[in-house]
Formats: sequence, C-alpha cells, structure tokens
Amino acid sequence: MPKVAILTDSNSGITQSEGREMGIRVIPMPFRINGVDYFEDINLTQEEFYAKLKEGGDISTSQPSPQDVTDTWDELLKEYDQVVYIPMSSGLSSSCQTAIMLADDYDGKVEVVNNQRISVTQRASIRDAMLLAKKGLNAKEIKDKLEADKFHSSIYITLDTLYYLKKGGRITPAAAAIGTLLKIKPVLQIQGEKLDEFAKARTIAQAKTMMINAVKNDREGRVSENGKYKTVLQIAHSDNLGAAKVFAGELKDVFPDVDDIEINALSLSVSCHIGPGALAVAVSRVETE
Amino acid sequence: MSANTIDVALLKKMFLSGAKNLDNNKEYINELNVFPVPDGDTGTNMTMTIMSAANDVFNLENPDMVTLCKSISSGSLRGARGNSGVILSQLLRGFTKVAKGYDTLDVAILSAACDKAVETAYKAVMKPKEGTILTVARGIAEKAAELFENGEEDINAFYQACLEHGQKVLDSTPDLLPVLKEAGVVDSGGEGLLTFLRGAYEAFCGKEIEFSMDNDTKKKAETTRKLPTDQPVSAVPEDIKFGYCTEFIILLEGKVFNIQMENEFKDFLESIGDSIVCVPDEELVKVHVHTNDPGLAIQRALKYGQLTNLKIDNMRLENKEKVEKENAKAAETAAAPEEKEEPKETGFISVAAGSGFADIFRNLGADYVIEGGQTMNPSTEDMLNAISQINAKTIYILPNNSNIIMAANQARDLTEDKEIIVIPTKTVPQGISALISFVPEMSGAENEAAMTEAISLVKTGQITYAVRDTSIDGHEIHQGDYMGLSDKSILSNGTDLENVFEETVKGLVDDMTEIISIYYGSDVKEEDAVALKDKIAENYPNCDIDLQNGGQPVYYYVISAE
Repeated sequence: MPKVAILTDSNSGITQSEGREMGIRVIPMPFRINGVDYFEDINLTQEEFYAKLKEGGDISTSQPSPQDVTDTWDELLKEYDQVVYIPMSSGLSSSCQTAIMLADDYDGKVEVVNNQRISVTQRASIRDAMLLAKKGLNAKEIKDKLEADKFHSSIYITLDTLYYLKKGGRITPAAAAIGTLLKIKPVLQIQGEKLDEFAKARTIAQAKTMMINAVKNDREGRVSENGKYKTVLQIAHSDNLGAAKVFAGELKDVFPDVDDIEINALSLSVSCHIGPGALAVAVSRVETE
Repeated sequence: MSANTIDVALLKKMFLSGAKNLDNNKEYINELNVFPVPDGDTGTNMTMTIMSAANDVFNLENPDMVTLCKSISSGSLRGARGNSGVILSQLLRGFTKVAKGYDTLDVAILSAACDKAVETAYKAVMKPKEGTILTVARGIAEKAAELFENGEEDINAFYQACLEHGQKVLDSTPDLLPVLKEAGVVDSGGEGLLTFLRGAYEAFCGKEIEFSMDNDTKKKAETTRKLPTDQPVSAVPEDIKFGYCTEFIILLEGKVFNIQMENEFKDFLESIGDSIVCVPDEELVKVHVHTNDPGLAIQRALKYGQLTNLKIDNMRLENKEKVEKENAKAAETAAAPEEKEEPKETGFISVAAGSGFADIFRNLGADYVIEGGQTMNPSTEDMLNAISQINAKTIYILPNNSNIIMAANQARDLTEDKEIIVIPTKTVPQGISALISFVPEMSGAENEAAMTEAISLVKTGQITYAVRDTSIDGHEIHQGDYMGLSDKSILSNGTDLENVFEETVKGLVDDMTEIISIYYGSDVKEEDAVALKDKIAENYPNCDIDLQNGGQPVYYYVISAE
C-alpha cells in the first residue's frame, strides 16, 4: 500500500493550521494588493484582506509559482511515495493546467486532480481524498475517483452587491448577464468549470429561498441520485458570519435529515471577485466511510 | 314601430349604431371611475374594443348572418382592451354564437343569445364580481328569458323592457359594490353596455346613423398598434396625412415659456398637424410636428425665441423610396430560400408606460415592451402583434396592470404556435420583480410558480392627483389633491406631495421590508426625487433605497416595498 500525500491550495478554504491538524499540505495562493505580493494565510489574514478590499484596493490574484509547486511536491516525495494535488477549478484559474504540465516529469508519482472544485466543494474533495488514501487507494485511483464525481456538486452564492463583480471584469458572462440598472441580488452558481449567473432576486430573503430550492433539487437529483449516494451540505460566506449562522438554522429546518452543516469562509480568491457580504450554500456527493 | 324579427341588415345597422353611441358617450363613462384618478378609461376601452369590430362590420357589403356574426365576434375579440372591453367582447362572442345559426332573429333567439352571452362572459372572468357589467348583462338576460316565457313576441316591447330592467340593475350596482356607493357612481362597464344597447335600439327604431370611423379613435387605435422598430413598410404615400416631418429647437434665452404658452403652442400645432412633441427645458423647447405647412409652425415658434437645429423632411417622398427599397428587398428574400432562425427557448413581453420603465424591462431581458398601462390599455391584438414578433417557444407576458391581464389571457387563448404564460402582474414593480426572479434553467411551470410567488412579495404604491371630489375608505378627497394609492386602497391624500409621499411609503413598509424602490414619473424633477429618496433613506435606515427614472405619465411616483 503506497503512502499517499494529499495536497491542495488555499482556495479550498483550509487554513495552514487546519491543514497541519488534518495532516495535509496547503499551498498558499498569491495576491497582489496595491503592488505588494501577499500569500493567503501566510502574511495576509481574512481581516486584512477585507479591510483592503473595502478600501477599494487594487487586488489581483495569480497562480502559485511553478517553483513553489514543484518544491512542495519534492519535499512531500521525500516522505511519501505519491502525491495527490487538488488545486482550484481549472475553469477559474490556470493553476491546474500548469500543475498537470509540471506533473509530466514525475513519472506518475504526482497526480493532479482536475475536478473543477472550489471553496467548500474543494474542501469536500480533500476529505474524500484523505478517506480514499486511508482505504489504501493509490494516487491514480484517487484522482480517477475524484474526477468521476466532478459534476456531483454545486454551489449557489448570493452577492450583496454587483460592484466587485463588475469591477473585476473577470467573470464576464455572469457580469454581463446581470449588468442592469436596478438594485439586484444576483445568485450565482458554480457547477463544473464555470461561475455563472443562476438567478436574480430583489431581496436576500427571496435569494435564500431560491438557493435552498436549487440546492434541494440538486441534492435529490444529480448529487445523491435519490438518496443513493451520501451528500454533505456546506455554507460559505465572505465576511458575513452572522448571516451564515442564521442561514444554517434555516437550512436545518428544510433538511431535518442533515445533522451537521459546516460553515466556512469563502476563499479569498473567490471573495476578491464577489466582494464581502456574500452568502453561499453547497451540496457535494462524498465518499462513505 | 313593431316587428317580430331582426334581419341581418338591421342587425348590422344596430351594431354600428350601438358602437357609435358608445363612442359619443365615452368621456362620460370614463368619468364614472371609482378612484378619481386622471386616467379612468372604461369608456375609451369599450369604445376601442367595439370600434375594432365596427370597422370590419362597416366594410361588409350585404353580409349574411354568419359573416356578420363572425366579424363582430373576431373583431371585438382582437380589439379587446381593459377588463370591461374583454368582457364586452366575450358578451358579443356568446351572443353571436347563437345568432349566427339563424337568418332572422326573433324574441326566442334573442333571449337564447343573451343567455349564451352572459354564460360566455362569466366563464371568461376568473372571479366574477357582482355589481359590474356582468351583473347588468345577467339582469338583461334574465329579463329577456322572462319576457320570452311570458309569450312576448314584439321585439320593440321586448327590447324596451330589457333596457329598462338593465337600467334598474345598473342603478343598483352601488348597493352591490360598496366602493361605487362611496364614490357616488354606478358601474362604468355596465353604463357602457347600456349605452351600446341604447344606440342599437335607436337603429332598431329606424333612426339613421351616419357611421364613420372617428378620427380620434382611429388614431388612438393605430398608435398603440404601431410597432417600435422593424415595422414592415407597407404604407403607401397616400396614407401620410401630414407630409413634412418638422423639427427644431426654440432658444428661450431667458424668455418665459410657461405651461400656458406651452399648451397654446401645442394646441396650435395640433391644429396644423399631428405626432406632436413639445418639450420645454429651462433654456430651450424641443419641437417636433408632422404638418403640411412647416412654415406655419416655424412662424409661430419665432414668437417664443430664436430657432436652431431646424430639420424638415418630406415624408411622402422618403416613404416612397423606402417602400420601393423594401419591396425590392422583399422580392430578393422571396427569391432566396427562406432561412428560418431556430426559435429561442423563452421570450418576455412586458407592458409599461414611460421610457424609463421600458429601459428597465429591456435591461432585465424583456424582448418586447408594449407601450401602455392604466392610461392606455393595450388590446388583445397588440399582444398578438408582440407575440408574433418574438421567435421563442415559450413567451411570458407581464401585463403589469389589473385591467390588462384579461386581454393578455385572451391573447394566450388565441395563440396556437407558441406557449404563452401570463404572469398576472398588476403593477409595474410586480412585473419587475417577477422578471427578475425568472430562472432560465427551470421549467415553465416552475417559473410560473416562482414568478407568481415573487408578485406576492411586492407591495406597490402609486401617487397621482384627484380629478374630482369624492370620498373613499374614509378619505375625504378634493379635486387636485395628491393621492397615494396602494394595491387596494387609498393610503393618503392631501395638498402636499412630500407628505403624501411619506405617508404612502409608511403604509407600504413593514418590518420585513428590505428594499424600497422609487420610480419617478415624467412630471417630476430628478432633484426633487433625489431629495425625497434621501429623506426616505434617513427614515428607514434598515432598508435599501433604489431610485429610478420610470418616466411614467400621470403618476408622479410609483413606489414598491419588498
């Protein structure tokens, strides 16, 4: 049974200390704010980030440097036989593509998972990977299993404001579709590789109902296939913990069979595009113990 | 005059005479509005509904009964606008369903036809309300049945008795509908129906009427039918009544141009042409008129100041060129094999008055915005026109006015090649919220449910002025007062617009309100609207306030709380 290391990036929302506790490694995502480079959770906290975002700072994200990626792999391979690397969705960043290319030189010792997850659904994948490694699967088998579940998750996010989405200009299809004059709470969906508009609401209350209905449909339908597979529900937010807690309570009323709904902060790479005050709910198919 | 039958020639005359009588009295019927709003239009709606049929009927030469009935039925159905108009069209449809089976009509047939008319109309209304045109129609039908059973054969006596009874029922409508009583009026739709029947009776008695399409009505009917763009050019130059499109700007340079001068000038322009636009700003007046004598317009305008940006086009020549070009193009496309574009999944039609509202709807994805609203209810035909313009499998219609929903439903029932879903929005903010909550990935039924649900979350207030003294819901209202109306009642009234505005907002907002939207109309200055918005923002710190230019006529402000 090979000894497999699990590696992800900070888009998963897993902090450095959490990673240590879980026994996995987390590559920090680099940010450039007003011309200065930062690394998520290394020399940039959530609080600092939101303060700079609200000040209107010029924030850009980039992928981890290839050097950092291969250095981490090399380091892990001293202790492990194989590495499974789960980077953020290839639909939202080219870091996955870069990693796949870099892994070519590692003779199958490093497997890069292209399962198009981000934030809390990426986090769910990490847990699956850990479970599968524990069950004795090798890196390639783990990668194949995770990729087979690529479309068995979705995230719905309600934005408090369109401001950041418009400003970033990066998520153009969504931004273009909702480029309107009115005050609207857009509900976005991340499923597979794209972040796109799902619906629009006039109020948060209405948006929450839309997200709950959508997640309920997905959960019963393609994610669990009528209860055949195990699922998890997660809540994510950007600097909006109070609302997230209230939302968790509301979700528990709708899904009495779900015992635990985890709340996590959205990764900063997502937050910098959608701004603070966002609220999200995700459903993912997960491995059983 | 005594007769036992009505033949097709007489029925034709009677129908046209009824239509004419309705047209002559429409203003009076318009005024019988419960809410003393400036845009009561039951009379206009009923007239336009019937004129659409009357025009067809007028052009029939020696028709047989089947042709005449078909003409009356389909013409009024397509021309139907407003609730009373739709009900009137259904009454005519029911009546003609029976009548078309006979060459001449006697009391037995008339009574059966009245019965069918009422049955058809009641079916068309989801929640029939008593104290309305329906009650009057039913009263007449019941009287007709009674007379027939009692062996009445003379149509004159029969008709007179029916009219008398109809009047009695009409007079009792205030007892059935308390709002009528409080406002001191009878039901306007019922009055319209009787006006039509009385006109028809005059023709029965032998009074010759001269029927011609009244210019005003015709013009109005045409303007709403006009399409905003891509109207196929078929007009021949002879159709252009006023040949020169004349545009210029008057520079005021400090001179006064008050409302009185504006009205005088507009009246003058109207006397020499049509399609008039006259928009005064602080420093200038923008003028547009179609006329046969541009010199007169210019001469008159010089009284107010210097002119600039003059532009005069000969529309007759231009139109001729355009028609020729279009015809050439049409010939070309006809020669080429027709390539039909694949229809998209969904399309949206919205009804709104005001350029700002139209922009908002287009921005939210509406394919077609029908100009109209309380002031001008679009007809079933306007809806059908819009439907034909959109190449989509499913089309949602947002009527945005309770008086337009029935016309939309009628259009839905007349459409066969597309799925039409009418979302029963009663106000423009309801329409906006319904459209916003559309989810492309959901099915038609799911969206219909979601959009209808969205309507229930919107409370709308509208601010206008009173056209007469009245009292409603315990509010003493004086002519000229500002009034704040909610979806169902009067929230506030008074002489101070700001006060009325604040009281109206107060009546709409509750603890659950997250967003207050304010749409200001064409008669409101932007800075005044901004000042009111700031005040509201101060009073309701927990709510988001959204200020938009609705550009709507008649209503100073449209407000919604969600």
